[in-house]
Amino acid sequence: MNAFETTSNAKSIDAISLEVIRHSLISITNQIDANIKRTAFSPYIYEYNDFAVGFTDPDGQLVAQCTGGMPPFVADSVGMAVRDGLQIYGREKLHHGDVILCNHAAVQGQHLNNTVMYTPVYAGLHRSLLVGFFAINVHWIDIGGSVPHSKDIFMEGLQLRSIKLWSKGEPIEEVYRIIENNTRLPKELLGDIAAQLAGCIFGCDLIRQLADRYGVPVFFKAVEIVLDQSEAAARSVIRSMPDGVYHAETFLDNDRSSENLMPIRVKVIVAGDELTVDYSDMADQVEGPINSGYFGGGQTTARVAFKYLLGANESANEGTFRPLKLVLPAGKVLSADPTAPMGNYSTPFPTVIDTVIKALEKALPDRVPGGHFATHSGIRFHGRRSDGSYFDSHDSGHGGWGACSTHDGSGPYRTMAHGDTRIIPLELQEVSLPIRIVEFCLREDSGGAGKFRGGLGFRKKYLMLGACTLQTNLDRTKFPPWGVHGGKEGLPGRFLLERVGEEPRDISKQKGMKLQAGDIVCVETGGGGGYGPPAERALKHIQADLDAGYVSLRLVCNDYPVSFNGNGILQPIN
Amino acid sequence: MTYVVALDIGGTFTDLAAYDSGAGYAIFTKSPTNYSNFVEGMLDCLRKANVRPNEIEFVNHGTTLVINSLIQRRGATSALITTKGFRDVLEIARGNRPDPFDLHYTRDVPLIPRHMRFEIAERISSDGSPLTNPDRAEIEVLAKRLTLEGVESIAIFFMNSYINPNHEKLVAEMLRALLPGVYVTTSTELTLEWYEYERVSTVAANAFVGPQVNTYVKQLEGDLLTQGFSGSLFMMGSNGGLLSVDRTCRQPIALVESGPIGGCIGAGAYAEALGLKNIIAFDMGGTTAKCALLENGHFSIEGTYYVGGYLKGVPIRSPVIDIVEVGSGGGSIAWLDPQHRLHVGPESAGSSPGPACYGRGGAQATVTDANVVLGRINPERFLGGELALDTQAATDVMDALSGRLGFEGPNAVVQMADGILAISTVIMGGAIKQVSLQHGFDPRDFALFCYGGGGPLHGSALARELSIPTVVIPPEPGNFSAVGMLLADARIDSAEVFAGTLCSDIVSAINNTFLRLEADAAGSLQKEFGATEIFFERVAEMRYVGQRHNIRLSLSNARDDIDIRGLFTKDYKRRYGHADPGAEIEFQMAHLSAFARRPRPNLSHMPRAQTGTVQPTSREVYFDAAMGAIPTPVYQRVALPRGFEACGPAVIEEYGSTTIVWPGDRFEIGQLFEICIHLKAETT
Repeated sequence: MNAFETTSNAKSIDAISLEVIRHSLISITNQIDANIKRTAFSPYIYEYNDFAVGFTDPDGQLVAQCTGGMPPFVADSVGMAVRDGLQIYGREKLHHGDVILCNHAAVQGQHLNNTVMYTPVYAGLHRSLLVGFFAINVHWIDIGGSVPHSKDIFMEGLQLRSIKLWSKGEPIEEVYRIIENNTRLPKELLGDIAAQLAGCIFGCDLIRQLADRYGVPVFFKAVEIVLDQSEAAARSVIRSMPDGVYHAETFLDNDRSSENLMPIRVKVIVAGDELTVDYSDMADQVEGPINSGYFGGGQTTARVAFKYLLGANESANEGTFRPLKLVLPAGKVLSADPTAPMGNYSTPFPTVIDTVIKALEKALPDRVPGGHFATHSGIRFHGRRSDGSYFDSHDSGHGGWGACSTHDGSGPYRTMAHGDTRIIPLELQEVSLPIRIVEFCLREDSGGAGKFRGGLGFRKKYLMLGACTLQTNLDRTKFPPWGVHGGKEGLPGRFLLERVGEEPRDISKQKGMKLQAGDIVCVETGGGGGYGPPAERALKHIQADLDAGYVSLRLVCNDYPVSFNGNGILQPIN
Repeated sequence: MTYVVALDIGGTFTDLAAYDSGAGYAIFTKSPTNYSNFVEGMLDCLRKANVRPNEIEFVNHGTTLVINSLIQRRGATSALITTKGFRDVLEIARGNRPDPFDLHYTRDVPLIPRHMRFEIAERISSDGSPLTNPDRAEIEVLAKRLTLEGVESIAIFFMNSYINPNHEKLVAEMLRALLPGVYVTTSTELTLEWYEYERVSTVAANAFVGPQVNTYVKQLEGDLLTQGFSGSLFMMGSNGGLLSVDRTCRQPIALVESGPIGGCIGAGAYAEALGLKNIIAFDMGGTTAKCALLENGHFSIEGTYYVGGYLKGVPIRSPVIDIVEVGSGGGSIAWLDPQHRLHVGPESAGSSPGPACYGRGGAQATVTDANVVLGRINPERFLGGELALDTQAATDVMDALSGRLGFEGPNAVVQMADGILAISTVIMGGAIKQVSLQHGFDPRDFALFCYGGGGPLHGSALARELSIPTVVIPPEPGNFSAVGMLLADARIDSAEVFAGTLCSDIVSAINNTFLRLEADAAGSLQKEFGATEIFFERVAEMRYVGQRHNIRLSLSNARDDIDIRGLFTKDYKRRYGHADPGAEIEFQMAHLSAFARRPRPNLSHMPRAQTGTVQPTSREVYFDAAMGAIPTPVYQRVALPRGFEACGPAVIEEYGSTTIVWPGDRFEIGQLFEICIHLKAETT
């Protein structure tokens, strides 16, 4: 075959070339993923995986992306930026060697740290054919701004709307200077940008080699089929669900600017091989910085939930999401105006995603689990050590996940909006902070009862060795993780202050509380919801829970229709 | 006569290599692994090799016992003793889900269940000072409880013990005295690195396998003695070095990758002898392919190993050669998903039923079937003719699969087979990229060193995929793990947390740490191996201040902080493409490796005695669509003399493996009877 044919499309492709191209596309994005992780400066990237690597077609449609990364980034975080660039520049002004940036609220609709960088990939004779864009979304460590006290997006930092960082292989020094002078951490940020840039250029080269190896027409044909097959796989899953209109709702504790409950209301419509997520009854845009835009919020959460329902094996691309429709009027918390504050845009995500999944409880009884704890459970200590040096520590809780049709809930893990995100080791925390951890254990009785029990949350006690300031942000305390199919709900989380000589008191929403040496902050995270009626739980599982101490005797007697015979053996009450 | 014997007990076969150090030749034998009596399997191999136990000077032994026990959760009834408040660290882990979209994700269950995890009042602060001392009365009560629970093994882990192990030592001593016969192990005997979850997981694993490994090793040693053996028994460690029996009994988890490591050692020894500084060791067997990178004479070592894989497995802090493994072997099954997309592996047909061509009822097309259909494997000479392959069965399964994929015409079957190999090449190429490109190395700067049954068969195709110019195939690729074990050195790895910002004072401090670690390791090597000549390698984990991931840097050639800064900057730039020469650098860990050379067989004696005729026979072999099947010379490796040269296409057959040389490539038989293939220039 002639690698440099210039016709735009091939009529056919052999099955093997197709598979090799499919495997190669994913392997390239994964390879760049690993490179970024190793080369980045900021822990957001290599500890939290707060980035994504993707390849889009010439129209900005997501073709392939790395298999790791944070779930919200899997939902086309790069495509929307590329499409904005195409709209502004047009293909003819996006040259080989150009590198473009975008973090704009009207485009991505997330906090401004999430910045997509991409470069066009030209292949074929004289690199004359645009085959797509290699794009990387990275959480920039600081881009100015004053989150979490922002009132609008302009207080949150620098906005870059489809700005060229490089032009035809040359860096644009002015843009670097703008960035360097609008961040608190120029060195770290420029380090991350160097890693992001290297990844874009390397990825671009690898894609070009792949396209040239098979010829651009064959490459295009392969891309077309890859998307179509993913679409077919998604449609076949939807077809297996009974048609219907399904609802679910829950509430966040407040909207971060008042004490009003914030409704998370979801309608899911299954019709044939299409699935519609309808957010019409979702909370309106709020004053607190937990808004997100149509793409970055509404579409992202709907796609993440959909991907959870499809299962882990299907890699996501634009084809996967073709059968997913979104109904989302403007002005909702997930479709906020681009001027709205978005600094903590992902705060509602775990609950929104879980609620979409919950809506399908009846439609997909084998797949939909009980609710998970669904809150970032943020806890921040800052102040000065005894030697005067400053410390600022962000920690978060991880909690129980819901039980499913085949086993007890798992965890404690981070939320559904997290993935391969590891907690900070206690031994490291103790060295770097004037804090001692005095207890870190599973939280007995926190999982919802059921045929399968919800996963447990944890209890973690921080002993203050000096004075400091505390901020907390625990949500879902009023509407705990639900059970499904007759399972009971899990316990919500709670944060308590244990101060010598005082009764423990709730501190789950503190904006700047002064702590003193000897205070103990007790963090208890929520447990997952149960699956199926508790009466159906096997006795041996109840006994195992008792033996392990996952569930107390009191709760066993309360939640399950069991008693003990004279020999202390568990038996059912008929 | 005195023999050096390597014994590799794997899942399917027990392999034995015996080197007669007087006469200077090696013997290889194989027998099916005898699960009920490993020793009997070994003696069977010795009988086949005609070697008597009293003729053996020493035995180097690799085994999959530890990894199997951990994965199948068949270990001792174990208890964990922790600081009060922390018994659940083992179960809570790090809160991550490596498979982000699996709604029903669960981590593998902890090795020690919650009701067997006990807490005692004890605490060390983060600076190492004791806050609460263990109380003897509490330990005595606990010991009674453990007896009632029928505990066979005890793991002890205390918070912050990495900086002060005294409490762990004290409690271990008390329990050993109170509970004779019970295996007791502490986290700090195994690792002095920090991070509580990884530490507790490590000691739990060690307790879990401890009693079993102790029984096994002592029984093996005893049985050998009974048979007249008066030499020494050593075990293969995952770090690529030999361990004494005593050390093995204390640190059985050091054997976690004891099996596959042999090949890496062999690859390293051949690379050194052949003057190759950079090689990619590639091992392809029945179910998986593995690769590891030897850079400038060293394999990189990973400090954390995940039992059963990172996705769900539990971590062990034990130095293991960084081997990347993918589910692509000869038995890997080709299958179509509901969207008719073709996949190869990771499911494997194993050895039973095995590939369709084994004629044991395998009904799915595998990589081996594809090789048979394309004429790359000789159906009559598989395993030296011990297993006749059914070409028709291979063709039939290929035909069925190709029909479902829409291939038509006379070439459908070969196209299908070629396609299966193409996909497996992409998958294995991905593993090689993972160990090379992702660490900042270009595979084109390496030679591909291939062994295992499938390595020589697939090596040239892989080298093409990765633009690697040279492929090397050592003698005995099918027994190469045992070959490697014959060549192993003694090795002890130790490590300590060492924190401080790089300056001249801190360099003298870390040098003192190294000197202390070296003295300890030298003492142990002397005691355990009678070693006098000992080599050290000093490695520090370092990073820029403010970063959270460390890089490992060899300090053996660095004299002062300026040297170290230069080395760090160079290495950082190579890995990451950029570096900041002015930024502050900090130490995190000090690692020491101590080696003692063991008497090593002469590599030029390793090949089998030459026999037969050089003159090739011929058969049709398919290479690619453009050429189709072409007549190809088929050589018998055992007949090829040193210095023999020829051009591809060629097939070189030997017991346990087949080498494919592509049209246009050139090969020669080298000094050590290795096959060296030079790929034609335009393909690389």
